[in-house]
Amino acid sequence: MNARALLVETPTVRDDQLKLGLWMFLATVTMLFAAFTSAYVVRRSGSDWHPVALPSILWINSGVLGVSSIAVEFAHARGARGRWKASAIAILTALVLGVAFLGGQLLAWRQMAAAGVYLPTNPHSAFFFMMTGAHAVHVVAALVVLAWGAVVTVRAAREPRGWAARMGLCRTFWHYLGAMWVFLFALVSLY
Amino acid sequence: MEPPRPPAPPPPPAPHHDTRGFVRRYIFSTDHKVIGIQYIVTGLLMAIVGAALASLIRLQLGFPDQQWPLLSKLLPAGYQGGVMLPEFYLAVVTMHGTIMVFFFISYVLVSGFGNYLVPLQVGANDMAFPFLNMLSYWIAFLSAAVLIFSFFVTGGAAAAGWTAYPPLSALAAAVPGSQMGQTLWLLSMALFIASFTMSGLNIVATVLSVRAPGLSMMRLPLTVWSYFVSSILGLLAFPPLTAAAVMLLLDRHFGTSFFLPSGLIVANKLVPATGGSPLLWQHLFWFLGHPEVYVLQLPALGIACDIMPAFTRKPVFGYRASVYCLMAVGCLSMIVWGHHMFVSGMSPFSGEYFSLATMTITVPMTIFGVNMLASLWGAKLDLKSPMLFVCGVIALFGSGGLGGLFLGNATADMQLHDTYFVVGHFHMMIGGVTLLSTFAAIYFWFPKMFGRSMNETLAKAHFWLTFAPFFTIFFMQHFLGLQGAPRRYYAFTAYDYLRHTRGQNLVISLAAFLLVSSQFLFLINFVWSLVKGKVAASNPWRATTLEWTLPSPPPHGNFGTAPVVERWAYEYGVPAPEGDFATQTVPSAAVPVTA
Repeated sequence: MNARALLVETPTVRDDQLKLGLWMFLATVTMLFAAFTSAYVVRRSGSDWHPVALPSILWINSGVLGVSSIAVEFAHARGARGRWKASAIAILTALVLGVAFLGGQLLAWRQMAAAGVYLPTNPHSAFFFMMTGAHAVHVVAALVVLAWGAVVTVRAAREPRGWAARMGLCRTFWHYLGAMWVFLFALVSLY
Repeated sequence: MEPPRPPAPPPPPAPHHDTRGFVRRYIFSTDHKVIGIQYIVTGLLMAIVGAALASLIRLQLGFPDQQWPLLSKLLPAGYQGGVMLPEFYLAVVTMHGTIMVFFFISYVLVSGFGNYLVPLQVGANDMAFPFLNMLSYWIAFLSAAVLIFSFFVTGGAAAAGWTAYPPLSALAAAVPGSQMGQTLWLLSMALFIASFTMSGLNIVATVLSVRAPGLSMMRLPLTVWSYFVSSILGLLAFPPLTAAAVMLLLDRHFGTSFFLPSGLIVANKLVPATGGSPLLWQHLFWFLGHPEVYVLQLPALGIACDIMPAFTRKPVFGYRASVYCLMAVGCLSMIVWGHHMFVSGMSPFSGEYFSLATMTITVPMTIFGVNMLASLWGAKLDLKSPMLFVCGVIALFGSGGLGGLFLGNATADMQLHDTYFVVGHFHMMIGGVTLLSTFAAIYFWFPKMFGRSMNETLAKAHFWLTFAPFFTIFFMQHFLGLQGAPRRYYAFTAYDYLRHTRGQNLVISLAAFLLVSSQFLFLINFVWSLVKGKVAASNPWRATTLEWTLPSPPPHGNFGTAPVVERWAYEYGVPAPEGDFATQTVPSAAVPVTA
């Protein structure tokens, strides 16, 4: 199967179901974070709200997640041209960067704790720990999907059929969580 | 250049007897029919617990001065010297509401019949994600087990109401049930939501992706439409309660103060929390809570609409309008939650908005109700047991809905809020409409599920002994509310202005005992019919939807090759070789297609 054919491959019913399922799942995740956000906005008006200083490693973590998203795109672009080795290396890189992001978030938590800022210190810190924690749980789920995508990509050299649809799921999930992180980081930093 | 065609899909498996072992067939099954029945049986078992709790409530309210030595022996933590403890009463009320809303109606009507019917009625061999479906059931089972376990922990079960308002639900010192019982309640809710999300996701994906050829969306039975809309509602409305549950758990165990205000004194101690907002919980809870009403009620109405034509022998009235009403109700139900909070001190402008939004949602609901009534118009009714229960659904929907008009209006609600008027209203709507629809569904689809029919005489007796006391109880409670009787009170004996309601409470309690006792008729009929019931034909009601084209019970793998659908789901009153109806697969050449 040539590379162009791979991209215009008609998805199977199963592919469509998985795509639909993923979007519905993301709709529920959106509602979860919308609830956290609305609670944040309401709680922020309390007299005890004192913004805490956020560790600068969060910027590095954001960069790592951004590069990871680029790596996923690179994996897609390489795979679409039938360059499976480069594609596999790219998606594995994305996977490693995703794990690094989680490690970085843990480090951020430790730095805040070292500075004497804990979950119950004040409402701002409570929201920070809670929302970054909830985001991290979803990142773990997305890493499992990325790992599945990596396996599919490694196997794609032998059987490329269906690869594009599966890679589409990985891209959607991973970019969604990247965008969600940008939103959460902006929320807790700027508002 | 044309894109290459995908390879031909492998031929669908032919329907067959499931040859896997007992455990894979009946315990960890991925067959939607088995999972549906698992949900139904689990829900019915939970209903027994819920009904027992209701009996304890009515025993207390009907006979407030009576001593019950036997209950002291059976429930020593709840009764002392034969008298029920007020804290235990609160736990009983809380658990009755939680079990009936989330673990009975949601399991039996929504997840149970949703699982069983949706794939069959869309002509699919199974759900879109069978493994996820199995996972959903077992998480639901775990959720129910956690809730039941909470009765036996220190302090007993949760006692902050099924709405779990903080600070009562947030502080262990507030009431005994707010110790470990409340934590387990929250854990159980989180599991329930996870399970319900999986189930809803499956139903939506199944309806959108594996409908049989020819089965356009506007040919779907209203049952499927109602599950489709209620599943989308569940997917969007339930996550905010997950968020709220996480915050409440953090408040309870990790010292945060999302919901705990400053200066709170509990058990003579100042609570070291600052600035939290109990109202925030109310908003998040009711953002789930109100759509949840429709998540339960829409399938009840959809099922009623699909059962009716088999006994009126004519199509439902206004099919398209009913579909649009379901969609409109689904959208509007997301923006009316504030009508549960009119007395929370919200701005009058907000109150006005929520009143208007609530009045707006009554329009599609009323159109739907009128369509149901019009479906009866001019029909020669065959009042078999499923149809009797459907008539009960319509009666309760009309009567209960009328009460909703008062409660949706902020001015009237200020007076009626937290009185028995509310209890009467919501029991008629999400209690009665759903309960009677559940029974209608069981009597109607029992022959399909198990290949045997239920006893019709017992079923009819069950209807009258359910409907009459149910209507008596909750109609009377409206008037108790108008007299100012507040809900959740342990006894009314201490209030002069309520002393004269004692007789009314006694009548309500006696009717409640009759209602609970009559359910034994159903249980006996259900179990007896499973074993000894008359063997049912594949289409005993001469109905038109796809499940009736299969043998009873349907084989593993349902249809094998997808059926070709030629018409809508309500082809009644037409000249056809089989009689006055045509199933959805009858070719248009044999019987003219009307829609």
